Amino acid sequence: MAVISSGIRPAFLVEGVSKMFAGRTGEVLALDDVSLQLREGSFTCIVGPSGCGKSTLLRILGGLETATLGTVTANLAATDVPESAFVFQEHGVFPWFTVLDNVAFGVRMAGVRKARREKIAHDWIGRIGLTGFEGAYPHQLSGGMRQRIAIARAFATGSPSLLMDEPLGALDAQTRMLMQEQLLRVWESDQKTVVLVTHQIEEALLLGDVVVVMSARPGRVKEIITVPFPRPRPADLEGTPEFAALRQHIWNALRDEVRASMEFS
Amino acid sequence: MSPKKTPTRTWSASGDLAARRRALNAASAREYAHSRHLAQRDVLLSILTPIVLLAIWETAARLGWIDARLFSPPTRILSQGATMVANGQLWANLLPTLLRLLTGFVTGSIAGIVVGLLMGVSRVVRAALGPMFTALYALPKIAILPLLLLIFGLTETPKILSVAISVFFVLQINTVAGVVQIDERILEAARAYRATGWRLFRFVLLPGAMPSIFTGLQVAAGSGVIVITAVEYVASNQGLGFLIWNSWLLFQPAQMYVGLIVVSLLGALLTGAVVLLERAVVPWRRANTLRKKRNT
Repeated sequence: MAVISSGIRPAFLVEGVSKMFAGRTGEVLALDDVSLQLREGSFTCIVGPSGCGKSTLLRILGGLETATLGTVTANLAATDVPESAFVFQEHGVFPWFTVLDNVAFGVRMAGVRKARREKIAHDWIGRIGLTGFEGAYPHQLSGGMRQRIAIARAFATGSPSLLMDEPLGALDAQTRMLMQEQLLRVWESDQKTVVLVTHQIEEALLLGDVVVVMSARPGRVKEIITVPFPRPRPADLEGTPEFAALRQHIWNALRDEVRASMEFS
Repeated sequence: MSPKKTPTRTWSASGDLAARRRALNAASAREYAHSRHLAQRDVLLSILTPIVLLAIWETAARLGWIDARLFSPPTRILSQGATMVANGQLWANLLPTLLRLLTGFVTGSIAGIVVGLLMGVSRVVRAALGPMFTALYALPKIAILPLLLLIFGLTETPKILSVAISVFFVLQINTVAGVVQIDERILEAARAYRATGWRLFRFVLLPGAMPSIFTGLQVAAGSGVIVITAVEYVASNQGLGFLIWNSWLLFQPAQMYVGLIVVSLLGALLTGAVVLLERAVVPWRRANTLRKKRNT
């Protein structure tokens, strides 16, 4: 079992988690004996071939699914805010709410009163650069703006941890790069425990403190890599030989798994 | 290919910015004027076509190309309409139809939406009622009118019920579909933010189903007018349906045309009211088109 250790208590302790899905065509083992320890305030990226169960793992972390075997211990902060908030792809933004109501949704569900939740929402709308769009509906905005709504909605809950499922996956390359920078800025100013699922190695290395490489289905932890680049990360990080070497290293680890996952389907 | 010769104005690279701005504004204004012109032409054509057809009808009837006893010339229909407004005959037939239609439409819609929402959120209710309603939907609603007449006699109740029943099924089906079709990713997001019970219903399921509910209301408006007209053909001695039917019995084609026109106006107005209501209740659906309009 690999452990990401530091002196601080873990935000998430995942011990021997396996997940079996029972379907019409039989049973599918999605996750097999996954163990992880995520440090509080850390930024963890999970990469792996499609169908490897990385989204399932995220959903188990957030309590949207239960593990068939094994346990997940979330370090519950002693507050009334939910322990984790999700960022989905932009499709998780409610089309019938304005930007303001969308960003305020999480806090609203947590029972925060109107005046206070709108203040929180305004604050976050400003921090993600959507000031002036409070009254707009999501489909009036671009994909990148919608995704920022989803991110602001999660940050606004005040939850100590954020679980992101390919949050930038639907964006074009340029928007994606800008959003990565913005996400980093927001995270650096408001350090939460972040777990981000992505299929982009570069994204994982740019954003994460730790990269968890998963195997093809059934998903196992194949390797855990501590990203050595200091923060704040320089803009030209991607051009450095260290970055290239690490990207190559991860790709080497992933290549066989991607091949295996393609043979599966 | 040689470059096409177009009249151009050139500016020095250093640029007379003001001149450039003026030219840009002028070109933009021309483009805008052109698109306005096209839009006005569209409106004009859409009005002109029926006017031309009516003029042809009028001429043909007057010159005896078509049988004016069957195809009353438009001016004749118009004067007949004016007479019927003046002597109160039109109003006396319009009012009962309007009341029956509205009462049936409103009660049927509310019942349909409520049952549809219950079926949408509760698997138990859906399993219990779904197949039965699907089977009943196939029954032509007008076919049960004799049964309703048998039960309730020649009162207002069977007429209103006929409308309400046909409207109910349309709304029930559209509402269930609206709830069931809500994007799984939206529901997942709602779950992740712990929207449950009433709040899930109020903030996610109900708004999510709204567009489909309004589609149902529009369809139901049309079928409600059909049903009430048909009911009044056979089971009423007042109403627009009765007016049309009676005109046939008495061989009064002009009066029949007046009835047909008023019935279609009624249908159009009801549909229009639903569209207006939708704009007020489902603002996120039209926000897009608003923005497009502003851009042009």
